[in-house]
Amino acid sequence: MKTTMTVKNKVADTQMAMPAPTGDSAEEPSLLVDDLCLYYGQQAALIDVNMAIPRREVTAFIGPSGCGKSTLLRCFNRMNDFIDGVTTTGHIYLEGHDIFAPEVDPAQLRRRVGMVFQRPNPFPKSIYENVAYGLRIQGAPPKTELDDTVEWALRSAALWDEVKDRLKESALGLSGGQQQRLVIARAVAVRPSVLLLDEPASALDPISTLKIEELIHLLKAEYTIVIVTHNMQQAARVSDNTAFMYLGKLIEFGRTQSVFTNPTEKQTEDYITGRYG
Amino acid sequence: MLHSKNTNLKTWVTSGELWIWLNAAAVGISITAVGGLLGLIAVRGLAHFWPADVAAIHYESASGVAAYALGEVVETESLLLDQYRSATGDTDDFPADVEVIERSLIKTGNRRVDPPDFQWIYSHRIASIGYPDEAAVFERMEWGNAYGVLEKVLFDGSVVAEADTAWTEFHMRLERVETLREAIARIERGEFNTINYALEQIRIERRRLELDTTLTDAARERSEAALRSQTDALTVRYTLAETDLAALIEDLQRDAIEITISTGATLTIPFADVVRGWQPNRMSVIAKLKHYFFSVWLFLTDDPREANTEGGILPAIFGTVLMVLLMSVLVTPLGVVAAVYLREYARQGAFVQLIRIAVNNLAGVPSIVYGVFGLGFFVYFLGGNLDALFFEAALPAPTFGTPGLVWASLTLALLTVPVVIVSTEEGLTRIPRSIREGSLALGATKAETLFKVVLPVASPSIFTGVILAVARAAGEVAPLMLVGVVKLAPTLPLDGNFPYLHLERKFMHLGFHIYDVGFQSPNVDAARPLVYATALLLVLLIVGLNLTAIMLRTRLEDRYRGVES
Repeated sequence: MKTTMTVKNKVADTQMAMPAPTGDSAEEPSLLVDDLCLYYGQQAALIDVNMAIPRREVTAFIGPSGCGKSTLLRCFNRMNDFIDGVTTTGHIYLEGHDIFAPEVDPAQLRRRVGMVFQRPNPFPKSIYENVAYGLRIQGAPPKTELDDTVEWALRSAALWDEVKDRLKESALGLSGGQQQRLVIARAVAVRPSVLLLDEPASALDPISTLKIEELIHLLKAEYTIVIVTHNMQQAARVSDNTAFMYLGKLIEFGRTQSVFTNPTEKQTEDYITGRYG
Repeated sequence: MLHSKNTNLKTWVTSGELWIWLNAAAVGISITAVGGLLGLIAVRGLAHFWPADVAAIHYESASGVAAYALGEVVETESLLLDQYRSATGDTDDFPADVEVIERSLIKTGNRRVDPPDFQWIYSHRIASIGYPDEAAVFERMEWGNAYGVLEKVLFDGSVVAEADTAWTEFHMRLERVETLREAIARIERGEFNTINYALEQIRIERRRLELDTTLTDAARERSEAALRSQTDALTVRYTLAETDLAALIEDLQRDAIEITISTGATLTIPFADVVRGWQPNRMSVIAKLKHYFFSVWLFLTDDPREANTEGGILPAIFGTVLMVLLMSVLVTPLGVVAAVYLREYARQGAFVQLIRIAVNNLAGVPSIVYGVFGLGFFVYFLGGNLDALFFEAALPAPTFGTPGLVWASLTLALLTVPVVIVSTEEGLTRIPRSIREGSLALGATKAETLFKVVLPVASPSIFTGVILAVARAAGEVAPLMLVGVVKLAPTLPLDGNFPYLHLERKFMHLGFHIYDVGFQSPNVDAARPLVYATALLLVLLIVGLNLTAIMLRTRLEDRYRGVES
């Protein structure tokens, strides 16, 4: 591992090795993945992944089941720490800081990198308490401030109008789509800089899916969004950049338009056109 | 051929119908058994409080002498002639068609005056049975019921009422006596108890001063003087209370009743000895019902008398409930913490699996073994060392180094902890990973996730464990006999003296009470109904405790419904 190299150099290096999507990439990328390998015991799940995820854009990870896209996503907020027998090598830089550095507190990291899971997982608490949860963990702010933040987060997730009259009711009474937007509001409430969405619409009906997609469009003005999806149309609709992964390797990464219309790799083309996967 | 009987039977068996029938039969048998058990206990236990009519029976005794008995018919049974002959040695000739002899158990009371207080009378010897209106029952403080006819009410040895007016006078005087009795009880339980407790504290304090070698002579003298003046004040208080008490007791002794019992003799009972008096043959059904519910009430709220065969069982109810509550308070954190460690923190592997198996096996250890452990470890080791460290002044009288409430609760907590561990672990396993990850992804630490999300969601399972623990602990008797239960506790473990809850005290327990009344009692016939009544109460108490816990659990389940999907 080339650990002596500075971050800035690494950015340049990575961009050379794996051309980052051209966009407003003059800025430092939000997330920079450098030679990342991950093993479940002896089994490699991610092999030499290098990529730069631009700020305030939507990046989609696509690929067949088991290709490592969710595993990669879970590296960004170190959720894999909770799985026994996982080892990683390489680096991930969040805004220039190595998230695997020993002085990094994973809990602090997760406040900056929010995550939404495949199945809506609201806590069995009231709608209000769900959104306030992350703030209370950080030390409860005064009541009025908390109220304001909860309202702001629910508005950000386009849920406020639907739930403003029943904030004290259990979140488990909401529909699946509402629950998923609540979970997004919960993640947004702690004001992260990155939002990780792990197949956020796969358990939802088409109308709820549409709402989530609209929401993603709105949110990317504020947050860097990384989304894992099985649904090719969805990736094409919502993302600015697309990464295609296969068997733990990053095969192709580029602007969504070019990946879908003019893939450089044969494997990408085969997958997109439905020849396998 | 296709529709032969044989084929039909085979299809019927393979269709599974047979098993449904077997299942239904098994359920039916179980329900009948439980219902029958509860029914028997309920009927036998509750019938005891009904004011039965008093029968006046003229009969011929075994020796052929005319005799007279006054009392309640407790039960009637049939004997085969042969059994009868061998039981009584009666060689009389019976008509050829007589095969069974009936006999009745009569409770004639008047123990110590006219023994025996229960006797069998054979139906064929009975000349006549009547239910005279004037026959009365008097419940006495000692020696059980007296049966007879109220003749006179006496005051200071002189007759104040006779015959017709006697009953009015009796009820009036009984009321006066009851106020006196309450006043006496207040002094004995309240004032005396407080003074004795304070004196004991002073004695211990004095001993502590003696043991303290760091004190200067002057300081010692000051403390001694303070203690002396306190003692003096208490002694004055004690003398005053004693004088009051003596006056009250003397007052109590002044009234008496005279009754004629079945032998024709006159029995004088001081009012101090009378609890209640009634004439069941004169009572209407409504009056009997009133009497009945009042009796049940007394049973539930009174202290036991007469080696527990009379009076109420309040201390036993109190002790059982307090012990079970204390046990729940102790077992819940213990079990939950252990389960959380095993499930959430320990590295899953052969060793943890081994511990899990050991915990499960712990639930199968006979309870008396826990009792022995509790006695050896908690009482003698922990209690003994506590005494040596903190209660040195009270030695050689042990404070915690003797069986007591806290040790009984701890022993039962240990006995039931496997149940709580197992169900808590199950609850933790059932919580979906996504919920934990949701919390962790928001920047919560593992501990924060545990306290704010995981444990609340697992709380119904924890409650299930506690419910099972309570059900087991409330009915447990064997280990308690070694670590804290006594036949008769002079004071409740909860009273008005600081620190109010006295964990070191011995206590009474319904389960042990049943054993004690049923098998250690000097008067088996008198005690038997109480055994049933106490057993019924114990069952109701456990049902009540369980229902409360189940209701709490249901509320929690409602709150967290839909999480486990």
